[in-house]
Amino acid sequence: MINLIKSEIKKVFKKRSFLIVTIIFIFYAIMTNVIYKNLNSLDSTTKYDIPSLQEENSHLDLGKEEDLTTFISNLTRIELENLKKDYNSGTQKYLIDKYLYNPLYSLISSRYQETKESDIAALTEKYNTTLELIKNSNWEYFIKENITSLETKLSKTTENKEQTRIKAFIDIENYRLKNNIPCDTTNYLNNALDAIKTNLTEYLNLQAKENLTKTETERLSYLKEDMLRNKYILMHKKDLNNMENLKSVLANFAEEFGLFILIYVVLIFGPIVSEEYSKGTIKYLLIKPYKRSTILLAKFLAGLILIPFVIILMLALEVLIGGLILGFNSLNIPILIYDSAKNILISYSIFKYVLIVLLSIIPMYLMLGIICFSLSTITTSTSAAITITFLFYLIANVISNLVLVYKTSIFKYFISLHWDFNYLITKTPNPYHFSYQTSIFVLLIYTIVILSFTFIYFNKKDVKNI
Amino acid sequence: MSILKVTNLCKKIGKKEILKNVSFTIEEGDILGFIGANGAGKTTTIKCVLGLQKMNSGSISINGYDIKKDFVKAIKQVGAIVESPDVYQYLSGMENLEMQASFYKNITDDDIMRIVKLVGLEKRIYDKVSKYSLGMKERLGIAISLINNPNLLILDEPTNGLDPEGIKDLRELLLKLAQKGTGILISSHNLSELESFCNKVCIIQNGEIITNKSIKEIKTTTNNKYLIKVDNDKKALSLISDANLNNNHLELIADEDQIAALIKLLVNNNIKIYEVTKEKLTLEEAFISIAGGHKID
Repeated sequence: MINLIKSEIKKVFKKRSFLIVTIIFIFYAIMTNVIYKNLNSLDSTTKYDIPSLQEENSHLDLGKEEDLTTFISNLTRIELENLKKDYNSGTQKYLIDKYLYNPLYSLISSRYQETKESDIAALTEKYNTTLELIKNSNWEYFIKENITSLETKLSKTTENKEQTRIKAFIDIENYRLKNNIPCDTTNYLNNALDAIKTNLTEYLNLQAKENLTKTETERLSYLKEDMLRNKYILMHKKDLNNMENLKSVLANFAEEFGLFILIYVVLIFGPIVSEEYSKGTIKYLLIKPYKRSTILLAKFLAGLILIPFVIILMLALEVLIGGLILGFNSLNIPILIYDSAKNILISYSIFKYVLIVLLSIIPMYLMLGIICFSLSTITTSTSAAITITFLFYLIANVISNLVLVYKTSIFKYFISLHWDFNYLITKTPNPYHFSYQTSIFVLLIYTIVILSFTFIYFNKKDVKNI
Repeated sequence: MSILKVTNLCKKIGKKEILKNVSFTIEEGDILGFIGANGAGKTTTIKCVLGLQKMNSGSISINGYDIKKDFVKAIKQVGAIVESPDVYQYLSGMENLEMQASFYKNITDDDIMRIVKLVGLEKRIYDKVSKYSLGMKERLGIAISLINNPNLLILDEPTNGLDPEGIKDLRELLLKLAQKGTGILISSHNLSELESFCNKVCIIQNGEIITNKSIKEIKTTTNNKYLIKVDNDKKALSLISDANLNNNHLELIADEDQIAALIKLLVNNNIKIYEVTKEKLTLEEAFISIAGGHKID
């Protein structure tokens, strides 16, 4: 039996198709990692495109007040973007974006409106002093200014809620000064701090509100998670949100490379029996001193061993390729899963996380493998086994979605509703409201039925004459 | 105890009877020629013997083990090539042999090398099989069938693809094996190929065994081939319906009494007889005469 399994494994590795798919996988992994390396450049939301701003301005009617505002705003933006090119540090760029816009806007608009000479002089003075501060990367000055203005605001407020809110903002600015976190978008601590600032008002409002709607509850849950994450980043000094590293490729391993797992599964199971028939080698296999069911079982077990093996092979190749392209140092950044029921973050090391994600999706690939194996045995056609398995995978996903959308119970025990255990990791409820025990039971029933039919069929099958 | 005993083997595919009561035995040292036209049922019989196809009725036992009840024990000492030597093309000849050997116990690398030399493949054994010629694949197939040192060797049309030298090598190999006591079943649609080294012959036609005799029995048939030269071929042919015209001679198979009566008939019809020659029958001709004039092919 062990010799049979060994020879089946050898057959898979000796085939050229295995090598070809592995080479393609390597190229695919290289490309994926290169994309991750430049992921932020794909994010166009914060970038201003000077030509398109100029294009917009050329169509504006300056006689209209609205258009004039847009025109001046665009002009300011263009000038800021040009200015930013002269400054290298992230802090300077950040300060230009955040604190130079208003002085410059006022200055430019003064050119298009009637303004007193003295006012223009004052505006120019204001612009120049701001620019001077920026040149010196003196971000502390702007933060202290912020704190002063917030404190003034606080002294004028009597409302409890508003006081809490302003105090929270003052705390954030003080935290920045105390921990010396510069204003700089390339600094992840700054980004975490800014993210907290952006969401803080909405978060406090929703938290104080009673009788939340469903959307509001979801939003609040999201904000809570976001707050916790950003706090974690600040406290542990771990750059969690950076996507341009090996850790984030690995965290998305199942999404990025899941299709390859499926390709390997059909590559292993598709020809496993059918090719022996089409090449005639089945005759030599079946006249060896083993029962037919032993021979088939050896084939099945060989495939079963190979699936985790190829997944680990893919993972190892990805760590190697990703490490060479993106560096290995992100591997000490943990993965945080938000448990909304307990409002806590659960921390996993990246390898533990990848492992449990793979464990949660492996049942699906095993079931597809069993289906492919059965088709290979019954149809004795490799192409039929591979094509039907792929189609089944596609259709099964559609049926899963249909059930989600229409809540129909016809497909209650359909296989694809039970083969995905990802919800256990994300700590979300099962979308179809099954317990994982039910799902495992259903999958076992499918396995037993499909395999017994396959084994009975194989035992009775005649090897036809050519 | 017979090495192979096939008794009343019947096989139907759908409603069609492929095999009807096929029976034969192979004893130690027998080389049985299994002769039949394409579609006569040779390969189906062989596949039933090897358990590759299920029989509808009858029994097959190998070394005393019934293949239905004790398949694993029965098949243990069998080596075979069925239809064509189908091996894994993406492996080398050696890898194929090693893989097949791994399914049996106690086969050493020396055993494998000895068999490689036996079939004369030692120069190319490490090449991928996809680079082999048909004759080399056939040799590899024979090597695989010998890997477990079988006492029953079943070769389905092994001479396909072999050149004359290969056939000669095979003949010598099989004779050597038979001398050691191996029982051999060798099928072919061409009787003359097997004539020189089989000691038993089975002819199968439309799923039925029509003759199952030893070569000796066949050769001692009283029939002979006669060539008669006459003046009027056409008239003579109209009188003797069994005869063929061949190179100005009438050719027919008959025993001595029949030929005497025939000569009398020709004389009575005023046909001049110039020459009557008696010739020995070839094995094939002997078969045709025994089988009642049926042509094999």
